[in-house]
Amino acid sequence: MTDTNLVAASPEGRTRRSWTFTIGAIIVGLHLVIGLSTLFWTPYDPTGMSGGRLEMPSLSHLAGTDRLGRDLFTLIMIGSRIALVVGTGAVIIGGLIGITIGLLAAFASRTLDDILAASLDILIAFPTLLLAMLIVASSDGASLGTAIVAIGIANSAIVARLTRILAKRVLRMDYITAARISGTSWLGVVAIHILPNIWPTLLVNLALQFGLAVIAEASLSYLGLGAPPPNASWGRLLQEAQGTVYTAPFGAIAPGIALVLLVIGINLLADGLRDIGDPTRRRRR
Amino acid sequence: MNGLTTRTGVASKSGSRMIGTLKARAMTAAALLLGALIAGSAQAQDFDADATINIGSLYEPQNLDNTAGAGQGINEAFNSNVYEALFRLTDAGNVEPVLAKSYKVSDDGLTYTFTLQPGVKFHSGDPLTSKDVKFSIERVTSAESKSSRKNSLKPIAGIETPDDATVVIKLSSRSISLPYNLSYVWIVNDTATNLTATEDGTGPYELEDWRRGSSLALTRFDGYWGQKPTNGDVVFQYFTEATALNNALLTGSVDIITSVQSPDSLKQFKDNKDFTVAEGKSTTKLLLAYNDRVAPFDNVKVRKALARAVDDAKLLKAVWGDYGTLIGSMVPPTDPWYVDLTKTDAYDPASAKALLAEAGYPNGFTFTIDTPNYDPHPIAAQFLQTELAKVGVKVNINVITANEWYSKIYKAHDFQATLQEHVNHRDIVFYGNPDFYWGYNNPKVIDLIKQAEASATTDEQTAKLKEANTIIAEDAASNWIYLYPQIVVSAKSVTGYPVNGLNSQFFVSGIKKAD
Repeated sequence: MTDTNLVAASPEGRTRRSWTFTIGAIIVGLHLVIGLSTLFWTPYDPTGMSGGRLEMPSLSHLAGTDRLGRDLFTLIMIGSRIALVVGTGAVIIGGLIGITIGLLAAFASRTLDDILAASLDILIAFPTLLLAMLIVASSDGASLGTAIVAIGIANSAIVARLTRILAKRVLRMDYITAARISGTSWLGVVAIHILPNIWPTLLVNLALQFGLAVIAEASLSYLGLGAPPPNASWGRLLQEAQGTVYTAPFGAIAPGIALVLLVIGINLLADGLRDIGDPTRRRRR
Repeated sequence: MNGLTTRTGVASKSGSRMIGTLKARAMTAAALLLGALIAGSAQAQDFDADATINIGSLYEPQNLDNTAGAGQGINEAFNSNVYEALFRLTDAGNVEPVLAKSYKVSDDGLTYTFTLQPGVKFHSGDPLTSKDVKFSIERVTSAESKSSRKNSLKPIAGIETPDDATVVIKLSSRSISLPYNLSYVWIVNDTATNLTATEDGTGPYELEDWRRGSSLALTRFDGYWGQKPTNGDVVFQYFTEATALNNALLTGSVDIITSVQSPDSLKQFKDNKDFTVAEGKSTTKLLLAYNDRVAPFDNVKVRKALARAVDDAKLLKAVWGDYGTLIGSMVPPTDPWYVDLTKTDAYDPASAKALLAEAGYPNGFTFTIDTPNYDPHPIAAQFLQTELAKVGVKVNINVITANEWYSKIYKAHDFQATLQEHVNHRDIVFYGNPDFYWGYNNPKVIDLIKQAEASATTDEQTAKLKEANTIIAEDAASNWIYLYPQIVVSAKSVTGYPVNGLNSQFFVSGIKKAD
């Protein structure tokens, strides 16, 4: 309720906020619709060789065809689904691990907290993609599952650090002491006071992590460490189009556009979420 | 290093132009014309005897020893360049003597007496003796050797060294292709150690520097016994990706690409007068090799069905555009025992289904193709997946690295089916070895290949191998998908390189770079 009041009080803020949020939501929504629709329908059979070799984009093949004559638009649509699955999976895994470790650190004794904080800093200093590659390489074989887990784990450090800082700030508040004195358990404190308080900031961060996970998955697939063929990941489409980039540039451009659009959409959405969730920003306007 | 080479090249070009101008001023109009003509032709023949030739390749060797599973890259870089053999397979496909000055065969065909080339020195300075030859052959035939040609040398019963210049090889059975097989045996100094990382050969070049994952530098060996190379240094630069390699040639950081692997990149070189595109003959075949030991691939009907289910022409077109050749067996048209077997188990999905049902798999089955992670294997695997799905066979694709391929498949035989490019010349003999990674075991074929070896004449050998070839194709021992084209692209200023990719050898000593 208070939210609506504040928004109403600041008309300029509202227009700007709805602009980023709306565009972001439209783009992500579009990907979501396209991605989900591939579960029931695609323009062509994704593995079927429906056209000639490296056809230019046309009305029958909106993004042209690849070397095997497969419809690239169909493959990009499926890529959309894979990107969303990986993004969601990685954010859930990264979020669960990150929030748990972050909360543990916030509640832990000074020494344990220092150790956890230092290890998180080391993990964050380590390039996300490299970490994900190590995890994939040490697992049995490249698959969509390992890619999701690897990216999730790699991204969890940032979530953990943020959770730790936010939770510590809340823990210092007088009402926490009051709650403890009145007999609320630590779990209760987490559920009633901490999570609702830190949630808006975390959500923005998780949305950004989603975008990073999509890029990380494309990079892993590009390197052959993502979902094995025939899963049409955008990264693999880019990699397969690499050899023909001069003669049939659309094979690389089309999945590239899809990837960039989704990541921009997610970032705009995260930006919009921050505007909604951050009261200081609202008051400034 | 690369930038420097390019710049030096540009500087010397403008230098010769300046000299031309000075000459022109001193001459009359008629002499000027003549002088320009002479200068012009002299320039065309001139080459820089100390030039560094930068060769771009996609095939980095795993190590430096061809008996330790180093892969095709080591043949490309080292055969006849760093190591020589008693004989060599020339770019035209003939066998000619190198370190063997001459040889005699006894009437029963069981004793070969080789006289060694005099005055040959190893890079370490040791002279070549018959003991080195004995050591080198035994290195290939030893139990630890991973040489793919080990089996071909089995008839060797003993090697004698009556004096330093004479080697006598005693055979247990006739071996008509002994000289040919010896062309695979690098002659190595018998005191050499650690050959996976160093070398001690007799070739025109010695190893200067090997940077794993990047480059292999060879430098001219001044003590070489034969004809001196027409260049100073050769650097093999390794790329993991064809586009990067093409760009390296376009920007001048390499002078030659040993083997172009995509038809789509050729246009940029064909339309450009600064480059030469040469199409030669290749011996590289793309194979879907089954593990013939394990079910269901131990069943001929299943293998034949899979061969009929795949439209090879369509895949060839997808990968190579208008290049490449279809083959129906392991033997390419350049081998003497080639038979056109493309009609055997030709594309026919309906009869593939019928055969599968006959074999007891009316609803198909599922298997995994271990797929090397570099082009064209992943795309070929996806193609096979689609084609085989049409006859009810489900394919899982497991992407592996070249190293994993060597350990998991070549050594441990732990696979169901795999895609692999086989580069060797005359490699039908691999089907005569039941211990080879694909485990094909047909006593008739083993016998025919053995008999062919024991032939007294090449005609007899050819007839036997033609028969073996036909049986292998009828058995669908593997699925021979297509024969690669061999395309070498170079800068216009570079000439004298081999154009055929036989055994993926790449002789560098005759390469000239214009001054």
